[in-house]
Amino acid sequence: MSKPTGSPAIVFDHATIAYGRTAALERVHGTVRAGEIVALVGPNGAGKSTLIKAVLGLVPVVSGSVTVLDRRPAEARRQVAYVPQADTLDPDFPISVAQVVLMGRYRRIGWLRPPGRADRDAAAAALAAVGLEHRAADRFGLLSGGQRQRVLLARAIAAQPAVLVLDEPFNGVDAVSQEALLGAIRDLTARGAAVVVSTHDLGLAQVSCDGVCLLNRRQFGFGPPDAVLTPDTLRAAYGGAALELGDRGLILAHS
Amino acid sequence: MIETLFAPFSRPYLARALIEAVLLGALCGAVGVYVLLRRLAFLTDAITHTVFPGVVVGFLVSGRAGIVPGALVCAVVAAGLFTAIAATRRVNEDAALAVLLTAFFGIGVVLVSRERSYTADLTAFLFGHILTVDSTDIMVTGAVTVLAFVVLVGLGKELLLRAFDPEGARAAGYRIAALDLVGNMLIALVVVAAVQAVGTVLVIAMLVVPAATARLLSDRLGVILAVATGLGMLGAWLGLSVSFEASRGHGVRLAAGATIVLVLVACYAVVTLGQSVRRALTRLSPPPGQVPR
Repeated sequence: MSKPTGSPAIVFDHATIAYGRTAALERVHGTVRAGEIVALVGPNGAGKSTLIKAVLGLVPVVSGSVTVLDRRPAEARRQVAYVPQADTLDPDFPISVAQVVLMGRYRRIGWLRPPGRADRDAAAAALAAVGLEHRAADRFGLLSGGQRQRVLLARAIAAQPAVLVLDEPFNGVDAVSQEALLGAIRDLTARGAAVVVSTHDLGLAQVSCDGVCLLNRRQFGFGPPDAVLTPDTLRAAYGGAALELGDRGLILAHS
Repeated sequence: MIETLFAPFSRPYLARALIEAVLLGALCGAVGVYVLLRRLAFLTDAITHTVFPGVVVGFLVSGRAGIVPGALVCAVVAAGLFTAIAATRRVNEDAALAVLLTAFFGIGVVLVSRERSYTADLTAFLFGHILTVDSTDIMVTGAVTVLAFVVLVGLGKELLLRAFDPEGARAAGYRIAALDLVGNMLIALVVVAAVQAVGTVLVIAMLVVPAATARLLSDRLGVILAVATGLGMLGAWLGLSVSFEASRGHGVRLAAGATIVLVLVACYAVVTLGQSVRRALTRLSPPPGQVPR
C-alpha cells in the first residue's frame, strides 16, 4: 500500500486524558495525516473510545495536547464527522434511512433552515457510496447491523469531512458490509480525509490501515502496522494474553 | 349523530370550550411526538405535578387571573431544574424527578387544603374546567400553539438529531443542554396552557396518548406528527360532544376533560387491538415472498 504523505490532520502531543482525577489514557503521541487511515487497537477498556472522544473534543485533555486541523478539537467539529456504533441507536426510532443520512448535512444547513435540494442530492450520493441507495425509504431500524453501520458512514460522508472518526464500525458486521465500509472509507481518504477507526480486528488494522495506535490505558505504539503490531508490543499491551500464530498473524486469548 | 357533534357548539360557552379543546388537542398531539421520541413521559408527568403549587398560589393571590402566571413561573422553574438535573448525569435522574414531583405536589395540596372550598378547588386544579374557559385562556393556548409550531418547525431537525443520536449531536458540536432546555420549556408551556381546561393531571394523557397511538399506526415521522395532531383535535371534539350529550340527553354528568382523555385512550385501545388482530391474521397466512423480520 502506498504511503500518503498529507499534512498533519490530527496531532497528539503527549496527551493525557482524564475523567475527574483518574487518568483514562496517558501520553498518546503521534500524528494522523490527511489521506491516512489510522486504527486504534487494544483490549476492551483500553481507552479507544476515550481517545475518539478526545478527537471530538468531548473529554478533557489534562496534559499535553490534541490538535485537530490546527485547532482545538472542539473548534474543529464542523470539519470532523463521527460514526457511532450502530447498535447504540434505538432501532424502534421512527426515522427513515434517508432522514438519517440527511442529518450529516445539518451543520452545513445551519439553524432554522430546512434541507434544500443540494442537501438531498449530497445525502443520496453518500448513501450510494455505501451501496444502500435502494434502502433510502426504509426505516433505519429494519436494516441489518452492518447496513445500519453503512448508513451512519453515509451520514458522515454527506458532511464532507476533513477528518472522519469511527467507533468500532466493524463489530458484528458481515463480510459484505465490511467491504462496503472499507471501500467508502478509502474513497474518503483518496479525497484527502484523515480517518481514525477503533477496532478489535488486528488483521484488518494490519492489512487495511496506514498506521496503528496500540493502547491499553497508555500508548504502546503509534506508527506503521508492521512496526507496531509485533508480538512483543502486542503481548505487552494485551498483558500476556496475546499468542503468536505464524509469522504475522496473532490470536488473542481474552482473560 | 351529526346533530350531537355540531349542534351544542352554537352556545357561546360551548363554542369557547370547543375552540380551546381542539387547539389543545392539536398542540398536545404535536408536542407529544417530541415527548414520545425523547421518551420524556415521566419528565412531562413531573412537570405537570410541579406546576400544581404554582396554580394554587396564583389562585390564592389573585383568583382565576393568577392561575396561568402562577403555573408559568413554576413550569419554567421546573423545566430549568430538570434540564440541569439531566445535564449533570451524576444523580439518578428518575429518583430526583420523583422526589421533586412529590415534594412540589405536596406543597400544592397543603396550600389548597387551607382553603375553605378545598375539594372543589382541588378538583378544578387537578382536572380543569373546560366549560368555563374565557377568551383569555383561548388566547394563551393560541399563543403557545403558535410558539410550539415555530419551535418544532424552526428547530425540528436539531431536536430530531438530539433525540435519535445524542452522542452524534454532541460530536457535531450541538449543545445538548440548550436543546433540552428548549424542549422542556415547550412541554412546560403546554402544561401551563392546558391547566385551565384539563387540569394538571390530565394533560399528560393528552400529550402522550395521541402520539403513542400515531406511533402504532406509522413508522414515518411526518405521518406520526400529522396523525397525532389530528387525533388530538378529534379526541377533544368527540370527548366534549360525548360529555355534553351525556349530561344533557341522559342526565349523566361526565367531566369534560376526563371524557376527552377517555376518548383518546379508547382510540389507543382500538388501534392496539386492531394491530394484534392483524398480526394474528398475518401469522396465520404469511403473504408470499415476504421475509419475516
